[in-house]
Amino acid sequence: MALAQHNLGTVIAFEFIRTIKKRGFAIATLAIPVLLIVVFGLLYASNTTTKNSAEAQKNAQFSFTYSDASGIIAPAGAQAAGGTRATDPAAAIEAVKNGTSAAYFQYPADPTKEPVKVYGADKGMFENGKYEAVAKQLLEASAQHQVASPQLTAALTGAVKFDSETFKDGKTAAGVGGVIPPLLFLVVFYISMILLSNLMLNSTLEEKENRVTEMILTTLNPTTLITGKIISLFMVGLVQVLVFLAPVGLAYLFFRDRLALPEMDLSSLVFEPGAMITGALLLLGGFTVFTGVLVAIGAIMPTAKEAGTIFGPLMAMMFIPFYTFSLVISNPEALIVQIFTYFPLTAPVTALLRNGFGTLNPIEAIIVIVELFVVGVLILRLAVHLFRYGSIEYGRKLNIAGTFRQSELAAK
Amino acid sequence: MTLGDAAEPLVHIQDFRMDFGETTVIRDLSFDVHAGETFGFLGSNGSGKTTTLRALLGIYKPTAGIMHIDGKVFEPSDGARLGYLPEERGLYKKEAVLDVMVYFGRLKGLSKAAARSWSEAYLERVGLGGKAKSRLDKLSSGQQQKVQLGVTIMNNPELLILDEPTKGFDPVNRRLLMDIIEEHKRAGATVIMVTHQMEEVERLCDRVILLKDGVSRAYGTVEDVQEEFGGTLYRVTYDGVLPASHLFDVVSDDDGRAELAPRQGASEDKVLRELVEAGAGIRSFTPARISLDEIFIKVYGEEHELGEG
Repeated sequence: MALAQHNLGTVIAFEFIRTIKKRGFAIATLAIPVLLIVVFGLLYASNTTTKNSAEAQKNAQFSFTYSDASGIIAPAGAQAAGGTRATDPAAAIEAVKNGTSAAYFQYPADPTKEPVKVYGADKGMFENGKYEAVAKQLLEASAQHQVASPQLTAALTGAVKFDSETFKDGKTAAGVGGVIPPLLFLVVFYISMILLSNLMLNSTLEEKENRVTEMILTTLNPTTLITGKIISLFMVGLVQVLVFLAPVGLAYLFFRDRLALPEMDLSSLVFEPGAMITGALLLLGGFTVFTGVLVAIGAIMPTAKEAGTIFGPLMAMMFIPFYTFSLVISNPEALIVQIFTYFPLTAPVTALLRNGFGTLNPIEAIIVIVELFVVGVLILRLAVHLFRYGSIEYGRKLNIAGTFRQSELAAK
Repeated sequence: MTLGDAAEPLVHIQDFRMDFGETTVIRDLSFDVHAGETFGFLGSNGSGKTTTLRALLGIYKPTAGIMHIDGKVFEPSDGARLGYLPEERGLYKKEAVLDVMVYFGRLKGLSKAAARSWSEAYLERVGLGGKAKSRLDKLSSGQQQKVQLGVTIMNNPELLILDEPTKGFDPVNRRLLMDIIEEHKRAGATVIMVTHQMEEVERLCDRVILLKDGVSRAYGTVEDVQEEFGGTLYRVTYDGVLPASHLFDVVSDDDGRAELAPRQGASEDKVLRELVEAGAGIRSFTPARISLDEIFIKVYGEEHELGEG
């Protein structure tokens, strides 16, 4: 037992260190945060420019002429903004054309049916926006002046906040704030599988491709090897997630305004224990199933290239449930949703979605969780068996039935 | 694994049979290897040697029979005292030489420091001191073989199982390899060696088994096997004509050099007298044992002839 633990620790350390030391891993891992930093940098620069420009456009001071067939525009407001009423639209347009006037705004009799015509001297694509901005600002300010009611203005402009409250079993339902936390397990599942699946597949293939298997199998229990690989890759995944999240966290903490990142009100999130525990168990069960399948593929296939032919469809299984997204939420009793809920390769995503949206009842949750763990452990055992008897089949695809026939014969 | 009672064989194989599907590749194979001896496992390609070793080490499950090391079925947890050099060789090619050696040293129960210092000393000895931090795939094939051998003999294994150890080695490195094996032999290690280098077997091995088509064709000390396949030969050089005789058979005869196999009851004196009296013009007459090489050719030559027939 002590040696087995020692060996497990040795495998974890070896696999972890050699994975993170790989140049390809470093490039792949650092590429995303570097990309994020570049994007954030561009956003920062753009938002600074945009904000300044928008402010400048809104407050732009230039003289213009206008005509108002609607009667909405308040002359005093227009004058304060630098406007002069034009009596002859054709002359006003001509003045803009020959550069004697900066702009001319032609407000129609019914702005709901006809557009406001804006004419201006060309100042470049971006700065030209100031004409429309001022024309719109003048119209809005004049309309608000006519209504003379801040409440009506707010109602009309959609500046009113709404606070909804629904009830479930006599208690206030969590709403969107209750959906987000359990759905985070789905996000974690996707991230971990996308980041780790390829590493896991190649990790088990490597023993075979490098013909290390015989040396390993006479030194180390295959279960210890596989367990060590899974743990080390999970650690690798955590490192990747931390590296990915670092720039996002720093950006949110220090440059949120500049980057126009949405403000997160964490107080509105509701961490319902039942949904959170169910989500965590579904995540672990799903991880076990997919990990087992990937190890098994690695044991069966002779090369990474050939393994890729199975790997693709397997990964597709994680995304297929999204084709029934609306049914998953609105009609969980639908046959297709039920099939996806219980089929082991689609169950993790479907059940995590349903758990997030509250359509997975406790009995269904228990059945799916038990199923995922049982199937996951069985597949992992099968994977270890296939690695044990399959990884020696250098350069050949494994005959799965053959490995069992060999065991049966041995048992006689 | 610790060596048990010296009277008990360290490796005990009894009535071993191995089937792959409908094909039986090894049948009723039995032999023992005693602690401290060097055992030659001989046979042509495909005769079942590697399969036997894999089954002994639990990589294959035997269809039938007993396969024990130190009185029990081998488990990977016993691997700390085993040195196995498989026929299909390979290590983690994209890792540094020293990292791989330390990893296997750790798996064999050494501390990191001990594995590291042992590996560095070994690499110096085999002329790879400057390659410790190189990736394995940057080494030549022979250099990789040396690293593989180092991994095999780490932690001074009590049982060394070497499947074609000289494969891929040039003559200089083959000499180095043999020196290392002899050192371990002198230190008391038990060595099981699969090889086609018969002169090495005659020099190193105490006992041998010769396998053909999964069946034992000869088993015992090198002398026993030589005796079984004709025992003594007489090598003669002559400048006359060899007579036909009821005392011996002519095994080979080429350009004044011949090998004669004496028939039952024909003594050295009788054969020599007959040759002299027949006027063969004998210039030299040397008794010698049949070589393992000749035995090998004799056993597999039958197969070749049958195949051609």
